[in-house]
Amino acid sequence: MSGIATAVDITLNSLVLGGVFLIVAVGLNIIYGLSRVMNLAHGSLYAIGAYTGYTIVSLGVNFFVALLLAPIIVGIIGLIIERIVIAPMRKRSMIYTLILTYGLMFFLDGLIKYVWGNEPRFVAIPAFMRETISIFGTHYPVFRLTTLVTTAAVMIGLMLFLNKTRIGMILKAASTIPEMVSCLGFNMNYIHIGAFILGCALAGVAGIVAGPLTTIDPLMGHEMLISSFVVIVIGGLGSLRGAVFAALLIGLVQTLAEFFITDLAMVIVYMMMAVILAFMPRGLFGEGKFE
Amino acid sequence: MKKLLVVTISMFSMFFAVLMVVAQPAAAVEPVKIGVLVPLTGIVAQGGLEMKYGIEMAAEEKGKVLGRPIELLVEDTQIKPPIAVTKAEKLVYKDGCIALIGVFSSGVGLAIAANIDKLNVPFLTTHVMTTEFYNLHPLVFRSGQLANDQTAVGNVKGILSQPELKNRTYYVIVHDYAWGHDGGERFIALAKQNGIKIYNESYDKAPTSTKDWSSYISKIKASGADGVYMVLITNVIPVFAKQAADFGLQAKGVKFVSGAAPGPVELEAGGEACYGIFSASDWSWDVNNPISDKWEKAFFAKYKTIPSDAAVHSYVGAMNLFNAIDKAGSTDPKAIAAALKGISFEGPYGTVRISAKDNCMRNDAVWTETVAAPENPFGAKVSMKVLKTFKAAELGPPE
Repeated sequence: MSGIATAVDITLNSLVLGGVFLIVAVGLNIIYGLSRVMNLAHGSLYAIGAYTGYTIVSLGVNFFVALLLAPIIVGIIGLIIERIVIAPMRKRSMIYTLILTYGLMFFLDGLIKYVWGNEPRFVAIPAFMRETISIFGTHYPVFRLTTLVTTAAVMIGLMLFLNKTRIGMILKAASTIPEMVSCLGFNMNYIHIGAFILGCALAGVAGIVAGPLTTIDPLMGHEMLISSFVVIVIGGLGSLRGAVFAALLIGLVQTLAEFFITDLAMVIVYMMMAVILAFMPRGLFGEGKFE
Repeated sequence: MKKLLVVTISMFSMFFAVLMVVAQPAAAVEPVKIGVLVPLTGIVAQGGLEMKYGIEMAAEEKGKVLGRPIELLVEDTQIKPPIAVTKAEKLVYKDGCIALIGVFSSGVGLAIAANIDKLNVPFLTTHVMTTEFYNLHPLVFRSGQLANDQTAVGNVKGILSQPELKNRTYYVIVHDYAWGHDGGERFIALAKQNGIKIYNESYDKAPTSTKDWSSYISKIKASGADGVYMVLITNVIPVFAKQAADFGLQAKGVKFVSGAAPGPVELEAGGEACYGIFSASDWSWDVNNPISDKWEKAFFAKYKTIPSDAAVHSYVGAMNLFNAIDKAGSTDPKAIAAALKGISFEGPYGTVRISAKDNCMRNDAVWTETVAAPENPFGAKVSMKVLKTFKAAELGPPE
């Protein structure tokens, strides 16, 4: 394989990896940015998205239909969680929701094991996506390219929603000056619910997208939660722009490190996070929010 | 009122007196408690469950030791050494277990072995492959999965016996912990001695948390190697194979040899992507002999899961332990340890004997390739077809 082909391979791998990190991290950021809830069960919701997608596809439904249905189902689960677990704690210190969502994470993991079992599962993808395509001398899986397109479409859609629609603009405003939005007569309760559903649905999207890339297992959300925390620490807690940049950066650094200095790949990623946390505690763009 | 109080106290006294009399014979048949340490959560939970099934089958078949019923107390190690040690302490100190069995992962096995003086019970592992277990401690034994040195011998012999595998250059990738390193190094050293080409003698070490193998697969593609030797946790093997298939590695003719037998349940999940993985292991359900056939039927009837090597060597290990307790004639740790030395059991993969020299088992093994399964009672679509059988003496180590 030529040097160019290898470079293409590495670039595409890093974009795919960064893309999945991005969707999960943005979901986490939206929830935190709008309702100041650090949802530690976010990784488990990502896993539920993957398992839901797996089940839908196993029932013979087209993968692309599952791509639409799984996030809706995870969004509904998010609504239930928000109403039962998060809402009663909203007026209390953030530590309450932190502990509650930590417990929720174990509950959801247990639920996954109960429903789907312990063994890993593979999501079946349409035949045309199982092929590889030749790009500058490398044969790259079509499914991975589809993932890239899906990630880009989700992010563009999200940006358009937040910047071009009335609801999106209200959400954006609420993340910056919630008091003003409340004074304008908007019900902050609905905004919190909406943010939670949107964040959870994004976890669901990431789950169904990542499922066929790797494999799905009950604890898949734990590693993803850690990775998405790395993204939001580097990008700045609550910063969407920061998350986009950080996710792509981490995808690239991790892929390059795995390729060139395999043994230290994760060490490098965490070192990068530690350095940014020490010298830029509000993230790369200084937009991070702390409570 | 006073009369009522006297009657109540009298009735309670009589009740407790009866209870004590009834409880007396029960104490006489107190069960022999055996601590079972298996991972029931985490990435190898399926393997842990299969190990538990195998040990349960052995306990059921054996029925009693020292004329007393066997009671298995199962604890989840979560494949984390500190947790496993805590659970071992609980089983011994609190529950009164007289022996420990099971354990998946060399790291966990070595952690328990490091505490064995304190625990002071025989510890027999059924799923630890590190070579450090040879002669590790008078109370520590292995009767289970082939050790890394035995697997390396089997795999090198297997590669040399297959013209399609012999003249390839192997890219070595391992899981980044004690077992993976040991397995990789054993293979590389032996392969070099036998003229098998290795692409990366400093081999790749992937974290056990790796989900996306694309970077490693890109490296293999870039290397031009036409063989991959992987020392990955059994449950991860199909995951790696599937992702490699996504990148078209197998379609380009790259062959896989594994330092551990893939789990059958995971092979099913991986499907066609898992065809063409070669490995040396104790057993697969393709082994045909009357004991094996009977055992796998009984296992499937009881647990409705495809019989695996994790289950079978845990069954055999447990039979060796139970027989040793009977042979010792007591629950004294030193007596059981002495009885375990040299003990053997005739099971689904022949005679499994624990060497009196180094406390680790010697048994015949098989060289297999994963293929589309022939018709079978388990409904399996992928099977580990037996290509060759190795005698225990061939695999070593010499005694």
